[in-house]
Amino acid sequence: MEFFGPVLDGFNVVLDPTNLLYCLLGVVVGMLIGVLPGLGPAATIAILLPMTYGVEPVTAIIMLAGIFYGAQYGGTITSVLLRLPGEASSVVTVFDGYVMAKQGRAGAALGIAAIGSFFGATVSIIGLTFLAPLVASFALDFGPPEYTALAMLGILLVATISGGTKIKAIIAAAAGLFLATIGRDGFTGAERFTFGNLSLADGIDFVPIAMGLFGLGEILYNLEERHRAATAPVKVSNVWPKGKDIKEASGAIGRGSVLGFFLGILPGGGATIASLASYAMEKKTAKDPSRFGRGAIEGVAGPESANNAAATSSFIPLLTLGIPANATMAIIFGALLIQGITPGPQLINDDPQLFWGVVNSMYIGNILLLIMSIPLIGVFVKILRVRAAILAPITALITMLGAYTIRNSMFDVLLVVLFGAIGYLMKKFGFEPGPLVLAFVLGSLLESNLRRSLLVLEGDPTGFFTRPISATLLVLFVFVAIWPVIKSAIDKRKTSSTTSAVVADKEKENA
Amino acid sequence: MKNRMARRTLLALSSAGVVLALSACGGNVGGGSADSAQFPSGPVTLTVGQAPGGSTDLIARAAAEGMADSLGVSMPVVNKPGANGALATKEVAAMKADGQNLVLLNASLITITPLAVSENETVSLDDLDVLMGLSQDDYVMVASKASGLKNIDDIKKSEKKLSFGTTGVGTGSQLAQELLLAQADIEGTTVPFDSGSPALTAVMGDQVQVSTIQLGEAKPQIDAGTVVPITVFSKERNEFLPDVPTAVESGYEVPVSQYRAIAAPKGLSDEAKEKLVASIKDATAADSYKSFNKKNLLSTHEISGEEVVSEWTELAETYKKLTDEHEISLAGK
Repeated sequence: MEFFGPVLDGFNVVLDPTNLLYCLLGVVVGMLIGVLPGLGPAATIAILLPMTYGVEPVTAIIMLAGIFYGAQYGGTITSVLLRLPGEASSVVTVFDGYVMAKQGRAGAALGIAAIGSFFGATVSIIGLTFLAPLVASFALDFGPPEYTALAMLGILLVATISGGTKIKAIIAAAAGLFLATIGRDGFTGAERFTFGNLSLADGIDFVPIAMGLFGLGEILYNLEERHRAATAPVKVSNVWPKGKDIKEASGAIGRGSVLGFFLGILPGGGATIASLASYAMEKKTAKDPSRFGRGAIEGVAGPESANNAAATSSFIPLLTLGIPANATMAIIFGALLIQGITPGPQLINDDPQLFWGVVNSMYIGNILLLIMSIPLIGVFVKILRVRAAILAPITALITMLGAYTIRNSMFDVLLVVLFGAIGYLMKKFGFEPGPLVLAFVLGSLLESNLRRSLLVLEGDPTGFFTRPISATLLVLFVFVAIWPVIKSAIDKRKTSSTTSAVVADKEKENA
Repeated sequence: MKNRMARRTLLALSSAGVVLALSACGGNVGGGSADSAQFPSGPVTLTVGQAPGGSTDLIARAAAEGMADSLGVSMPVVNKPGANGALATKEVAAMKADGQNLVLLNASLITITPLAVSENETVSLDDLDVLMGLSQDDYVMVASKASGLKNIDDIKKSEKKLSFGTTGVGTGSQLAQELLLAQADIEGTTVPFDSGSPALTAVMGDQVQVSTIQLGEAKPQIDAGTVVPITVFSKERNEFLPDVPTAVESGYEVPVSQYRAIAAPKGLSDEAKEKLVASIKDATAADSYKSFNKKNLLSTHEISGEEVVSEWTELAETYKKLTDEHEISLAGK
């Protein structure tokens, strides 16, 4: 029972009324912003960060996690009913979900999405429960060289896997690495890029960057787009899918869950990629692929299971290694740091209450979402009618107030405004803020651990390769770095072999 | 209808933010409208230069609780972390000397930080009226179990070159350890970590063989037997670790501890000063405060403001002299 003891204690933590309330608050807010196109979970969590200062760390993270996975549920609703994906991870749901709604099967689509989401998330939580202690058993073997290798791998994955243009992602990541160097050098006490300003002596805080780039930047960017008038939502009747629907979708839910789980673990992966991959997989495995795009229930069930599974499993690298897998995780990383908790292999042993409290809260949160998502669909759709002209100033105000409360300093408010402007310009010119924020977080990890490693190893870099964990990670690093080259080589061979096959066929025909 | 509901939620959220912000600056507002004849004329704000949750912050909150009762006004604690506390201290030092704004001082900011950073990041006690000293927080040197080290002699005799973790540049942890290594003629590599917790974890995993950490952080692991205490750096034995010898009694001149005190901007009226000192005395006499000290392994060091100034000034000179003598630079080699 040594293993299950802390797990069960975690349930006690969740069932504390305060934690339950914050869990509910988190999932409701998550669902709400999931419905609203534009405002994503990363932005919302960044904006609401200051609200978590006054509460216990576990309560804070339970709420923030709820926002993240709640958004995955919410995003589905508008995709199906209005052809308006609330979240990037629900874009593929539009293809078949909206068609189903037009066929009068909106209820079935939403129902199966909710069930799939719940199933996918549950698979991931169980995976997380068993995988995390395994990783944590190596916790004390993680020294400076291992963290160095991990941070390198993380930065590389961020730059290569993230959506959008690769070169732009790398530029944004480089900017993040640069920002991480600002402040007092932790090894010599020398000031770097502070220009004699005491407020910069400790470097730029993560929170103003996240609040500015994600929060304010997105608010500004969304204001530019005229708020589209929401078309009258399709009537939703009979939300429970029929037995036939469930039977058709069950395979897709299973596949989507497993796929999402693995894609979520990968740094740089996450819910959006998982949903896209699942859709592609369903289309490939289907007996009749032509049904897709014409209201195939698998096309809703698979991606929706996958995005929730991925959203949940992306907590694994954060909670077990201290490496945020995507931008939202980077912000939750920041939230933990504010609470005086450094996520990493030690977390599960040092603070089992927090770890298992957060993990187990996801079961409860998903049950709450499953219950809510069905009767409350109508309410959430109506929220879309709140005009941007009202919503934007309120969110901007909350952001500014929040920024001040971080350190009670106007300097941070100015930073948020500055990064808000940068975030807006980045979006406008097609740069994702994600790689910047991730590289900023990982950059300081990388620098200090590299220098620490070289001190411990007495300046001998071969030490990185004689330690088993860091060696493994570095091999992985090299593999990921050269993978695109290998892949293009394989693709070339494939295309040439298929062309030759086609040629051969043609020759046969001619013969 | 539903529309209104959404708006109301957002309003509730934003008003929560407003309340947060207002409560944070409430103290300053009261200070601005102060009538100098009457003290206290409103809430007294205690500014802390460290993040919430750390030991300095906890001490501030424990003291503020008792002081508020004694003064009969509320006493909000405001955190303004940055530059080891220099940011907060400079800000309070520049405020009106009406007693409505106080700051919690860490001795290391005055005595050790100047050895590692440039001048504009340091603070002088001349700009402050120190009201009273509070407590002493000791550093302990711990070794990993795997290293087999039990005492300073083991470290001296070690054939392997050892790594020594510190809690950061310009901290008491670094100063104490560097002084000991120099005086005992030990060759080792000093590895700065970001704070106490990673330095402790590194010793637990034998990533570094030895670290010097604040006692409060190391004690649970010492008790659990996962790390071995080598020596404490206080002048006298620590009441919470009576069996561990001090570096001083082993013959090394390393009197390094962390001290905390409460101060106000320079030029406080006698009346305000008397009232404030009396309120600190009331606060520290309370049982709840005493058990707080015990729980956090803090030794009481409740000395007058004048004594704080002379003690810290003396310590700063001693540290300067010792680091010069042993050619130690806290700002790396």
